Amino acid sequence: MSATLVEQLETGLDAPICLTWELTYACNLACVHCLSSSGRRDPRELTTEECQGVIDELERMQVFYVNIGGGEPTVRRDFWELVEYAVAHRVGVKFSTNGSRISAERAQWLAGCDYVDVQVSLDGATSEVNDAVRGPGSYSTAITAMENLAGAGFAGFKLSVVVTRENVSQLDEFKRLADGFGAQLRLTRLRPSGRGADVWGELHPTAAQQRELYEWLLAHGENVLTGDSFFHLGGYGAALPGLNLCGAGRVVCLIDPIGDVYACPFVIHDEFRAGNVREPGGFARVWRESALFGDLRRPQHAGACASCGLFDKCRGGCMAAKFFTGLPLDGPDPECVLGHGERLLAARGDDPIPRPSVDMSKRRPRRRPARACDENPLTVIPA
Amino acid sequence: MACAASTDLLDRGWRVAPQVALRPEPFGALVYHFGTRRLTFLRSRLLLDVVRGLDEHATAREACDAAGVQASERPRYSRALTTLAGAGMIVPQDAS
Amino acid sequence: MSITPEQLEKTDEDREREEKTTAPPEAEELVVEDLLVEDVSIDGMCGVY
Repeated sequence: MSATLVEQLETGLDAPICLTWELTYACNLACVHCLSSSGRRDPRELTTEECQGVIDELERMQVFYVNIGGGEPTVRRDFWELVEYAVAHRVGVKFSTNGSRISAERAQWLAGCDYVDVQVSLDGATSEVNDAVRGPGSYSTAITAMENLAGAGFAGFKLSVVVTRENVSQLDEFKRLADGFGAQLRLTRLRPSGRGADVWGELHPTAAQQRELYEWLLAHGENVLTGDSFFHLGGYGAALPGLNLCGAGRVVCLIDPIGDVYACPFVIHDEFRAGNVREPGGFARVWRESALFGDLRRPQHAGACASCGLFDKCRGGCMAAKFFTGLPLDGPDPECVLGHGERLLAARGDDPIPRPSVDMSKRRPRRRPARACDENPLTVIPA
Repeated sequence: MACAASTDLLDRGWRVAPQVALRPEPFGALVYHFGTRRLTFLRSRLLLDVVRGLDEHATAREACDAAGVQASERPRYSRALTTLAGAGMIVPQDAS
Repeated sequence: MSITPEQLEKTDEDREREEKTTAPPEAEELVVEDLLVEDVSIDGMCGVY
């Protein structure tokens, strides 16, 4: 993207290009890095009718697609109905799933739906690496789902991986796995958001791993998707494919299960809450008039990064990564390629770090004895 | 696409592809293809007018003239339309 | 917390890396010529974990 287009996009759009919609906080897994601290359903969840109302609005605003997540969105009883409704209203749908509801029959149905795409989450190319993060059995569940999709002839679905210190050495294996299913690999950045805050320190890639990741991504170009999430690595050299900017509140946003609108899916915190779709004027008014989004669309100060020759490339990195590691928003990303973020983290005192405003984690404190099959201290068994 | 390259694009009639959504924005417009999931930015309102008018004119040249594209600017708009055709955002009017 | 300039002071290594990674000016000029349209894949966007 040209510099001028990025600058224009930073001032915002009349409507999001796409948005993330967490339909429920309920989840049958309990991934250690869950960005939305999901687990239990919030009783205030939007009803089917309210969801349809949101879709009507997105249609009017011409939002091109929604990426539905959660929680595990397929546990909502009206999930498939809402997918059909969105597509019928010319709002494209992608949904992120752990695969537990993608049976052979469901895969057949999905393969026949235009404008629907499926993103299956897998965070290790082996069950050992994956299940340590996503829980026992989650590897085989995801593989079965992908077999079902491939078997139904659903070409080009996404195998979606959060890059961690443990799986960054498996990039080629992930690619082979995706290719074998006729799927496309999507890699995304681990953020210290939600429960991710508790594991980010031990799971985020080291500086050397980041460099390898960058080279790998550059070599694979547009064949491997990143959802623009590694633009902070642009400082290493050539820009990676994508818009290469922080889209929060400018070109994307999040709608959470109770209708709260946040600047992006990784900042579920009151400070980044722009409004609620249930308020008068609905989602359109939040997008167009919220003071928070207005602020995010004003020229941002490079702050401590102003004198850095690489600022035009990384643009200061990820707001959520800074916020939930306690770094100032107008300074370097904690994973700044020049190491400025790391130095700041090392120098940071005991000032409190912001915690997410929502925590729907299932109440199973770690002090309760682990169940028989729970061999890994990181994993939590679904109730 | 092959035919677009072999003759002058401006002499043919074009229309926005059925799988494509066109959304005006202050800087021009966003063009999204639901099939390829690619997004194209039109960085001029005039180009948006041209694209919107394609279907109503027998040739792209007429659509450019009707929108008010200066003759000196025509090559630029022709290149822009070629890019859109290459991405499948616009298709020949006679394509089934 | 605030950042002092010293904390962000560049090391020689940083400078070297910056020099290496800054795009040559000719590349930029080529891009400026004709940008009535720009094209990007947004397939991976907005999806989370």
